[in-house]
Amino acid sequence: MIVPIGPVHPGLKEPLRLKLETQGERVVKAEIDYGYVHRGIEKIMEGKTWQKCIYLAERICGICSYEHTQSFAEVLEHMAGVYAPPRAQFLRVITNELDRIQSHYLANSTFFKCLDHELLFMKVLELREYAMDSIELLTGNRVNMGWNVLGGVRMDANEEHFNAILENLKVIEENHDRIVELFSEGSVLALRTKGVGEMTREEALKGRAVGPIGRASGLKHDCREFHPTYRDHLDFSPIWRKEGDNYARVMNRFDEIPQSIDLIKQAIDNMPKGDIRVPVEVNTGYSEWVNEAPRGEVKYMCETNGNLIKHISIRTPSITNIDSCAKYMLTNVPTVADAVATYASCDPCIACAERVQVLNRDTNEKIVKDMF
Amino acid sequence: MSSLIWYVYEFARKTWINRFTDAKSHKESVEKPSRFRDFPVVIKENCIGCGSCIASCPSPTAIKLVRDETTEEAEGLVYPVINEGGCIRCGFCAEVCPSNPKTLECGENHLIKEDFNIIPSKRRYIVDDYLCIKCNSCIKACPVDAVSVVDGHVKVNQLKCIACGECVKACKVKGAMKGIFIDNLQDQRKLIKLVVDSLEKYIEAQQEDLEKLAPESLLQLKFPISNIWDEALKIIPDTEIAHEIIENAVDRLKIRVITWNSEKCMKCQMCVKECPIGAISFDEERDTIVRDHDKCCRCSICFQTCPFAVIKLFLAKFVLDSDDEGNEYAFITVTPSQLDHDFIKGEHNAG
Repeated sequence: MIVPIGPVHPGLKEPLRLKLETQGERVVKAEIDYGYVHRGIEKIMEGKTWQKCIYLAERICGICSYEHTQSFAEVLEHMAGVYAPPRAQFLRVITNELDRIQSHYLANSTFFKCLDHELLFMKVLELREYAMDSIELLTGNRVNMGWNVLGGVRMDANEEHFNAILENLKVIEENHDRIVELFSEGSVLALRTKGVGEMTREEALKGRAVGPIGRASGLKHDCREFHPTYRDHLDFSPIWRKEGDNYARVMNRFDEIPQSIDLIKQAIDNMPKGDIRVPVEVNTGYSEWVNEAPRGEVKYMCETNGNLIKHISIRTPSITNIDSCAKYMLTNVPTVADAVATYASCDPCIACAERVQVLNRDTNEKIVKDMF
Repeated sequence: MSSLIWYVYEFARKTWINRFTDAKSHKESVEKPSRFRDFPVVIKENCIGCGSCIASCPSPTAIKLVRDETTEEAEGLVYPVINEGGCIRCGFCAEVCPSNPKTLECGENHLIKEDFNIIPSKRRYIVDDYLCIKCNSCIKACPVDAVSVVDGHVKVNQLKCIACGECVKACKVKGAMKGIFIDNLQDQRKLIKLVVDSLEKYIEAQQEDLEKLAPESLLQLKFPISNIWDEALKIIPDTEIAHEIIENAVDRLKIRVITWNSEKCMKCQMCVKECPIGAISFDEERDTIVRDHDKCCRCSICFQTCPFAVIKLFLAKFVLDSDDEGNEYAFITVTPSQLDHDFIKGEHNAG
């Protein structure tokens, strides 16, 4: 029997349809259908000046909006050969890690909501507010920050800001372990998460899983290792696990939060002095840039003619993660309720993923459902 | 009577309690952080009406410039009005505003230094080195010192340029300083396609005259621009810009026109094999050769292979000019191609 879930479903944040093939209560196979929130944002960008496009790039994703502006700024800086001054780079690291903290908390709280564990859902969201507050304090707004520009950041931060952020992080540090213990030591939760939705390392490689989802299956891949600021100035090593089940994915995200806090502290301690912005003149050309968003690898490929964006294509991590979830995780899941939780554990972000559709010109059929 | 008192009591109790229950949702009780970017605040008196806020806005419907009614005492003020339905609160307008003190205030964005305020303009100003006589009149005309001499060449600094167009007005040689229209690229592409397609159709309609045309002779035609003017205004409503794009497109245009005389065709299918993109195909049911007009890239290989002179190739050049009455025409000159017609035979002889 085929059980359809969605596109409108209280458990899922965004519209998407899950078709679950079941034998009794057991889910044997799953298929995913998207295309409900396609906006064509790359096409809107084409033929506009780059000054405007950075605010459009911010609106690609609703949760990790910060990383998109940083990647957009860095791809054009890379093309022009002018890089942001060191102080701006460190400020970018702080905001990026704060964004990662709030995104991971939101993903985990959604997972707990799908498991019907309301206490953890509320507690995790409560902690997330401290990260959101510090983002608001530093950049002005909570989600669409408008903080990055080509050649640096818009506003400087002073000692007061840093102290307030450190105080907020202190609260997160105090309560984080207690909440993780509720999850990792709770016998009921462990029964429902351990050994459910397993994905091996080979399958993760086949499905091109990235970010915490890939790392939970043993793929030790983190783009922050290659990023100039992290590589040269900060002490950091990727966190990974071997199990590859729901428990591992949630715990991997929980474990990355103290590491992010540590990175922010390092950045504040070693904060260099100087300018926060340099003028950049964009030239004609093509370039690529890779960054690590909270969900994994984001790739920007951009071609300009000096002032306008000629062509841009963006690859977000969600598309590969959702596909590998449908193919490899949702096989042999004990119950339908667990299948929804497994889907939530891969941290899906549909608006991120839906940008390009490839059609057969003669028959108007979809060849590939959604590409990158 | 007693019920009336009860109703009054109930009403009073509810409104009194609501003061406490709704306390957090009242606008006054929400504390905004110091850097919070709300909708931009407009200070009317400072506005100089330059329009850079409109040029900078990423959202198409967020800002409009408005003018107050002029009275006998004073001229009406010009100032921007913000549509809160369209605004995305990026604060770029406040960053860019060149007036001192600023007209628009948004969070801390209006405090950003002037060096970085790059206005995305609809036109890009470029100096043609070949035509420039280095009279320096554009340098004197520029209000923001964006034009300067670098290594003996006059150059425009794109970071400083505010796209006012004063340099083009001051330039003494026509075409030495250009303001290229770079906005709405997709619409421009559509308009150029419309011009090229309608000109090609017009020439192909004169097939009888073209057939008779002797080698090394000319055919002169006239195409009135008013034929496509209404359709062009549907694509780009601004008359000045639409005219400029049509003028630029027609002036530099050179197209190849292919005519197809199917009476002479012997269905040898050589052109079907030679066509590099598969635009020509053989329809077995109707026993004819079919050419896809949209797919064809006018490479002229079919013209060179055809042994029966079914296909003919012409070159057309255009000039836009107006006659004595002021009607604008595209003057067309068509010449037969000088390419070797019998391509296969020539190759065979050489071998």
